[in-house]
Amino acid sequence: MMALTANRLIDGEVVFWASGRWVEQFGEAEVFDKDAPAGEAEARAKSQVNVVVDAYLIDVAEAGDGLAPVAYRERLRALGPTNTPHHGKQALGGHAIEVIAHADGIARSGGRHNLIKRK
Amino acid sequence: MYQYDAIDKAFLTDRTEEFRHQVARRLAGEITEEQFKPLRLMNGLYLQLHAYMLRVAIPYGTLNAPQLRRLAHIARTYDKGYGHFTTRTNLQFHWIKLRDAADILQSLAEVDLHAIQTSGNCIRNTTADPHAGATAEEVDDPRVWAEVIRQWSTLHPEFTYLPRKFKIAITASAKDRTAAKTHDIGLALRRGRDGALGFEVMVGGGLGRTPYIGQTIREHLPVGNLLSYLEAILRVYNRHGRRDNIYKARIKILVAQLGAEEFGRQVEAEWAQIDQARADLPDEELARIRGFFSPPAFDVLPAVSSVFEAAKAVDPALARFARQNTHPHKIRGYAIVDVSLKTPGETPGDASAEQMELVADLAERFGFGEIRVTHEQNLVLPHIRLDDLPAVHAALKAAGLATPNINLVSDIIACPGLDYCALANARAIPIAQDIARRFADPAVAENVGELKIKISGCINACGHHHVGHIGILGVDKKGEEFYQLTLGGSGAEDAEVGKILGPALPAGRVAEAVDQLVEVYLRERKDGERFLDTYRRAGLEPFKEAVYVAAH
Repeated sequence: MMALTANRLIDGEVVFWASGRWVEQFGEAEVFDKDAPAGEAEARAKSQVNVVVDAYLIDVAEAGDGLAPVAYRERLRALGPTNTPHHGKQALGGHAIEVIAHADGIARSGGRHNLIKRK
Repeated sequence: MYQYDAIDKAFLTDRTEEFRHQVARRLAGEITEEQFKPLRLMNGLYLQLHAYMLRVAIPYGTLNAPQLRRLAHIARTYDKGYGHFTTRTNLQFHWIKLRDAADILQSLAEVDLHAIQTSGNCIRNTTADPHAGATAEEVDDPRVWAEVIRQWSTLHPEFTYLPRKFKIAITASAKDRTAAKTHDIGLALRRGRDGALGFEVMVGGGLGRTPYIGQTIREHLPVGNLLSYLEAILRVYNRHGRRDNIYKARIKILVAQLGAEEFGRQVEAEWAQIDQARADLPDEELARIRGFFSPPAFDVLPAVSSVFEAAKAVDPALARFARQNTHPHKIRGYAIVDVSLKTPGETPGDASAEQMELVADLAERFGFGEIRVTHEQNLVLPHIRLDDLPAVHAALKAAGLATPNINLVSDIIACPGLDYCALANARAIPIAQDIARRFADPAVAENVGELKIKISGCINACGHHHVGHIGILGVDKKGEEFYQLTLGGSGAEDAEVGKILGPALPAGRVAEAVDQLVEVYLRERKDGERFLDTYRRAGLEPFKEAVYVAAH
């Protein structure tokens, strides 16, 4: 499974793709099961050069009774810094945040799709 | 301190308006991110994990009270109410919005601050001894020369596109509080046998993935020739430094490849070609700059303060604070006071807006309005009367700024790490917090004595891990945070790169391992030895054994 993420240009906020719009919470992100629609969304996102910076796909996996980004770095982006639990998205609380905060099991470094460009 | 003139102020205003226009063009889609990124970086604006980060330059770590208050105001208005002091004596705001960036730069410019030369392949903010102008150890005031370099290097057309970034540090004391030997150029002011002032010029130091200790290419450069000699070094580097590989582009690689002797020879040859009368600073201009650093109006006081002695006798916390966080001042009746930003459990180097305002108030009431930032992520009030120490201590204590731990095990350098930084592989802050909590008892920390722990969340080494007595480097092992420990590093006058202790440890084991290393030290130490001295005498083995063998 995959989700599409970026930083919003105007304020740097971490955002996720949700059926053509950008949302601030991972819990509201669109989850792609197949490569083709994920790739199409990525292409659309990359064309929104005045809205977001550096859109990319991340791996997502089941965690507890929900979903979480696979890579630790991406979980931090979806939550906020661990030294200040009252800063960032984690401050909002709620089920989706709890799922990410307690997600274990890590697949691979970065968790970013297409980071290594294959020729 | 140096005061901007009308030209400086007009320049900063223009620069801010230029950036405002660039941001507007970016938001309107007139320029791409690729075109905009170098422009925002030239104004200290990075995009990190959660938001933009603005790195504000604090020239040679020197602030006045209105400047620190303005930083507090920005923290409160545009960030989340705090700022992070860095190992380059700068201040980073971690929650900045692009739409606010130009307003922030304008606000900074109003108090003669900016974010120029905090990024990019230029000569970065030159750092100097935070005790400058206050310590009796110094042979001259290094701030004078740091200001000379600041003026010379700001937007220097020849050195704006170097192969890689370039960092200079200046110390004027035998005890090095600037980590000069880890800089591209380290300058140590010394008096020659004839009494003349000169610089020992060290080049090619640096940390990152290939750490080197700077090597001396000139023992005694007459101070008046500083700028022409720097120009010669930078020309040799600009000409021969590699531009094909970012990891081999720093001057340290060139110096290592050529050898310090050959590099020095090329610098001397280049220097001989330079018209020194053109390149060096005229005496009258030097005198003008020096005038800005004339000593404040110190009172004539007795060497011993009866007020302070009496307070110390009845307040063990004040006595401990005086032992750990104060240093002798060159003027009788004064002390240099360290303000610790390392309360165990807090984020190293972070200061809240309220804390910044309090330090600014104390500086104004008791310390001629001066504040310094150290590369070890603490603050300094350089000129405090001994008579005022009880009041200053009480005020700092009430604000959580009086932890008596300077240079002790809980005074840990930590970069922002993976909690904030887009480059990091692992977190640094929680590791520092774990260790500091373990040694939170001030009596325990004082018994352990000087022990410098430095933590970086990636190989770029912003946390100076290579030169920590105990260095800790975060690495990513298949998506999990691990930490590589090194021992025996030093960033001081006895600079050395630490040696790897053994295989990397998982996050949960690091604080325990530090505890085990400290146990070995306490067991093995002889009279007066610091942790580093014991390591140098006893070697790596007993420490390695404690961490790796005892684990089974």
